[in-house]
Amino acid sequence: MTEMITVKELNKSFGEVRAVRGISFSVAQGEIFGFLGPNGAGKTTTISMLSGLLRPDSGSITIDGMDMASRGRDIRRIMGVIPQEIALYDELSGRDNLLFWGGLYGLAGGDLRDQVDRALELVELTDRAKDAVRTYSGGMKRRINLCAGLVHSPKIILLDEPTLGIDPQARIRILEVVKGLASEGRTVIYTTHYLEEAEQLCDRIAIIDEGTVHASGTLAELVELVGGKVMVSVTGDFSADEAKQVLGEAEFDHISDGELRVKLLDRDQTGRLLGGLFSAGLHVDGVAIREPSLESVFLQVTGRELRD
Amino acid sequence: MKAILGILANDIRRRLKNPLSVILMLLIPVTMTLITGLVFGPEGNVDMPKIKVLLVDNDGGFFGGLLKQGMQQGELGDMLDITEVTAAEGEEMMSGGDASALIEIPEGFTANVLDGKPAEIRLVKNPSETFLPIVVEEITKTMAVLLDGGTRIFNAPMSKMRSIVDQENWPAVSDMEEVMDGAKNGVILTYGYIADSLITFTDEVAALPDSVAAVDDPVVKDFNIFAYVMPGSMMIGLLFIVELVLRGLLRERKAGTLRRMLAAPVTTGQAVAGKVGAAFAITLISSLILLAVSRLGFGVDLGDPLALFLQTVATILMCTGIITFLYGAISGERAADAVMSVMIIVMALFGGSMVPSEQMPPALQAAGRFSPVFWAADGMKKIFLLDAGVSDIRIHLLVLFLLGVLTIIPGALLIRARIAKGGW
Ligand SMILES: Nc1ncnc2c1ncn2[C@@H]1O[C@H](COP(=O)(O)OP(=O)(O)OP(=O)(O)O)[C@@H](O)[C@H]1O
Ligand SMILES: [Mg+2]
Repeated sequence: MTEMITVKELNKSFGEVRAVRGISFSVAQGEIFGFLGPNGAGKTTTISMLSGLLRPDSGSITIDGMDMASRGRDIRRIMGVIPQEIALYDELSGRDNLLFWGGLYGLAGGDLRDQVDRALELVELTDRAKDAVRTYSGGMKRRINLCAGLVHSPKIILLDEPTLGIDPQARIRILEVVKGLASEGRTVIYTTHYLEEAEQLCDRIAIIDEGTVHASGTLAELVELVGGKVMVSVTGDFSADEAKQVLGEAEFDHISDGELRVKLLDRDQTGRLLGGLFSAGLHVDGVAIREPSLESVFLQVTGRELRD
Repeated sequence: MKAILGILANDIRRRLKNPLSVILMLLIPVTMTLITGLVFGPEGNVDMPKIKVLLVDNDGGFFGGLLKQGMQQGELGDMLDITEVTAAEGEEMMSGGDASALIEIPEGFTANVLDGKPAEIRLVKNPSETFLPIVVEEITKTMAVLLDGGTRIFNAPMSKMRSIVDQENWPAVSDMEEVMDGAKNGVILTYGYIADSLITFTDEVAALPDSVAAVDDPVVKDFNIFAYVMPGSMMIGLLFIVELVLRGLLRERKAGTLRRMLAAPVTTGQAVAGKVGAAFAITLISSLILLAVSRLGFGVDLGDPLALFLQTVATILMCTGIITFLYGAISGERAADAVMSVMIIVMALFGGSMVPSEQMPPALQAAGRFSPVFWAADGMKKIFLLDAGVSDIRIHLLVLFLLGVLTIIPGALLIRARIAKGGW
């Protein structure tokens, strides 16, 4: 497989805030590479550097064999960037928006119009193309926002949380479109903080938090990484010391007063764990069992849950 | 270039979809002009309550009489209500607040003027009034300048005049013709200033025997109050329109469209150039609308087409440059909110947008020369009212073009640097 994107030791700080700290990864052609991370993880900062909008403090970015530092403009020509926010001209129609954005990539005339029509069909907005974007629903805006980065048929597509705050149907449509783009041989970088999206869509996933990639690989590789263990969380009316005494030999992921997380080799051991707690007279309020999944991987490698 | 034009055209398209804000800006000068016009009379004749002026003539000579006559005839006569009084009566009436101003012509005034010696006209203004005494002051000052200039410029005819005045009888027509011929060139030289002060010198000269024939091509057009007010007030509208369009850059930064633009193969310089170009184009279109309204709605004679064209382009260049520069100097939308309107209003005020420069006190008038708005409004006024050609307003054009170029380029570079730094 040809490597389309190679990133080495990328760093970016905003004053005191170290938004990105030594990120490295590479993406092959036709691959969908996901960045999964919570708010403030550094996803947008990374995308901004990849799209040439931000200059890294250090590190290198090579795209399609071109170095970002010296050939940024050539790189931008073959890249489509879909920003996190809806960056469109509200008062213009969807079609006029696409004509403008496509025009900035050097398309013109019939060529431009054909590409715009094709892009509109792709996101099923042909019917509403003549209406002002202002009148679109949230999901439609998301779709046209996606579309605006695709008019010029980019080889590389950077999507920054393209499904933020929309209904499941529109989300499914967007995921389908992204899959289709990759199957045409385009290379996709996709950031999200939705676990399911990363699981369903991405060929490989990098888990990012506080500016660092904590783990990366295919879903199977990541699950393997945490040892394929089941995670059991228990909440109740007990102190950390009491729980430790009862469950002495267990593999704790976390323990504090009233809350503990234990890794088990399979879920059948849950009964024994709870039995131990009950027989010691400890009060248990809730139990949650998590199969090995991206969620547990995330929890494992970052030490916290992925929530908004 | 294609990218710049694309961005520029897109901006215009967006304005056309949403023209309300520009229209509102255009309403400012139209309303200002309309209201001023209605206050002073829709026919364009200055038609306000007469200003009460007391005149003490201690000289009783030729020039004192000339001054007096000049103020009682023609347009000035319509404006001023002159009562001749003795010094004592005058003093008493002024202290009673019975008049807006008192003019006192000193003893020996005529002799001094003829000898080229300093001759001071005393003006007492009523402190309880603001606007009217200033008008009187302006008129008096203009007349003084007229006489003063006359004594210098008309040096040659003046000696002849001396002998004429010294004769007790009215002079021979041939003698007068000689004086007037010599004076004619001088009159034309000083014309700009005089007409600026709104006092038509034709009336003045007409007070003298045979003078009507002497000044054979009156330069001043029919005075149209709208033509007088529009040039200044249109500047406020135009500056605000430039501001509106450039503010779009800050908006686009917030909305993310600027980032999206820069993620395309567009340089920051091109993005800024496109926006500044759009500001220029949209403001130019707006000024054409204002000129059309001036012509069709207010009956303003737009004067020499070439002069009008150059003055308009130079004005828009200056407006775009100044605002671009200001935007380059500020740090963001909050600063823009705080600074822009104030700067525009101050420039416009000093430049004569609200009160025409000619009617400001001299210190303010002098300060006004430092406002770019003055050069825009004054040049346009000369085109509208004096039929000025390109050569008559060449200084105005030069100032405006230079200001425009010297501000637009560094302004755009500053904005570019701010965007590139990501801190804008
Ligand atoms: N222009 C900036 N100036 C200062 N700090 C910034 C700037 N951009 C990002 N940051 C900081 O860098 C860190 C990473 O931000 P970034 O936007 O990359 O996160 P993100 O992963 O995209 O988050 P989200 O899911 O909320 O979009 C945050 O702490 C943020 O406050
Ligand atoms: Mg983000």
